[in-house]
Amino acid sequence: MRAVAIAGIGGIRFGKYGDRSLRVLGEEACINAIRDAGMKPRDIQAAYVGNLAQWEWGQGLLIGHYVLREIGLTKIPITRVENGCATGSNAFHEAWYRVATGACDIALAFGVEQMTVASSEKILSVFTGRQHAERGGDMGNSAPGLFGLLARRHMEEFGTTREQMAMVAVKNRKYGSMNPEAQLTQTMTLEEVLKERMICDPLTLPQCCPRGDGAAAVVLVAGKLARKYNPIPISVAASVQVSGTYPDDRSYTFFDTDVRAAAAAYKMAGLGPEDIDLAEVHDCFSVAEIVHYEDLGFCRKGEGGRFIEEGHSGIGGKIPVNTSGGLLSKGHVIGATGISQIIELVRQLRGQAGKRQVEGARVALQHNGGGFIHTDTASCFIHILRK
Amino acid sequence: MSQNDKNRRFIDDAWFHDFGQGLSLTGGRCPACGQTYFPTKQVCPSCFNAEQRKVPLSGKGKLHTYTRSHMGPAGIQTPFTIGFIELPEGIKLFSLLTQCDPWDEVLSVGMEMEMVIETIREDEEGNEIVGYKFRPSRGASS
Repeated sequence: MRAVAIAGIGGIRFGKYGDRSLRVLGEEACINAIRDAGMKPRDIQAAYVGNLAQWEWGQGLLIGHYVLREIGLTKIPITRVENGCATGSNAFHEAWYRVATGACDIALAFGVEQMTVASSEKILSVFTGRQHAERGGDMGNSAPGLFGLLARRHMEEFGTTREQMAMVAVKNRKYGSMNPEAQLTQTMTLEEVLKERMICDPLTLPQCCPRGDGAAAVVLVAGKLARKYNPIPISVAASVQVSGTYPDDRSYTFFDTDVRAAAAAYKMAGLGPEDIDLAEVHDCFSVAEIVHYEDLGFCRKGEGGRFIEEGHSGIGGKIPVNTSGGLLSKGHVIGATGISQIIELVRQLRGQAGKRQVEGARVALQHNGGGFIHTDTASCFIHILRK
Repeated sequence: MSQNDKNRRFIDDAWFHDFGQGLSLTGGRCPACGQTYFPTKQVCPSCFNAEQRKVPLSGKGKLHTYTRSHMGPAGIQTPFTIGFIELPEGIKLFSLLTQCDPWDEVLSVGMEMEMVIETIREDEEGNEIVGYKFRPSRGASS
């Protein structure tokens, strides 16, 4: 594999854009990324788009082609990917792979999703699926339910508290208030988070990420071209994809996918958790962030609750996590989420993160889990970026 | 379920089988490698053997974790309680929990649970959709 760098990033603020088309949202992010890279669309040789579904009516087709045709990007291979909540990261990974293998020098990865156009019932129905009745929505299963179950077991085994979980929401909402691209920008106190409506015990509403509409795009280039396009290229030190094993014989307090993906990513980068200056991790629910601290080696197993409580995951702490505000503030805009995480890390490594800048950041980790089957995430992607 | 019960149907007919003592939760066992799984599958996911035997699962297990859900699918009244049950056959089973109010006093991690066959929800036409739930075990009171 050869060196690959990120030459351009383009996000739009996540929110409710029911009056605009999915296509237009995608165009805006791609235009921003291509401009940021100082390129023209014709420089791009391959494109991958992440889009889970067109929620109001079903599975769409050709969304990548529709978007890119509008901005004058045609002829090249254009491929849509889907991998649950890690759909955007999968698009990035494929673009990286195409450049890293030498199949092309410049590739675009973008994600786009428009979720506020569908009802909550429709979203729940698509999420829980119809492929495994024994764990489907018809049996009472849901994403908040699975993470409520994870939380209870973590509390039981390690003494993790409701307050520690709520602290994740407080932290991420604070950083979300500093991110112009976040959907929710109001800060909340610990008391406010705990008093909010219960969704699945112990997770109150602000501890569950909202959905939303939006898009995010990045341009990847072969390392040898990096400085031609950007004065501060960010290199991709690791790009890892794993799938779940869905074990029965384990305590439901961690994600096997996380642990295996982290080991592979650290090995690929020649780095360890002690080298990570900041991270964006998949905080779909507050408890998930605590579990990811442990799975990614930021702290020891069972100490995730204390890691947040002692401020280690805040700016100024050991490893600031989700300085973008995370999914809890931005919303989970599925196809765009993974790429949006990468955009935050690139901004941080470039020193362009404004009020939420992590001083001296040189190495950053992105983590995105996709979907849930039985006891494990179906897919997990980890990227390590380096200045 | 008898065919006369037109208004009641199982979520999945393969989940239950009468091995001679009434309906049991039914899994598959691979005669080649001994792996037991739920529900039955076309091949053994451990060794790809196509032959499998239907086996009754015990229907009793330990409560691995639980939560109270205030949101959920149409047809199941909220709030409801869910959990993972560890069956002695080595299977973790997601399940609705029943007969456990007040849930936060009655339930505890590790407690013995037993299966009941009950209506899970009503569908849009008013049919009762039947599956398994677990309740605190009544056999061995502590």
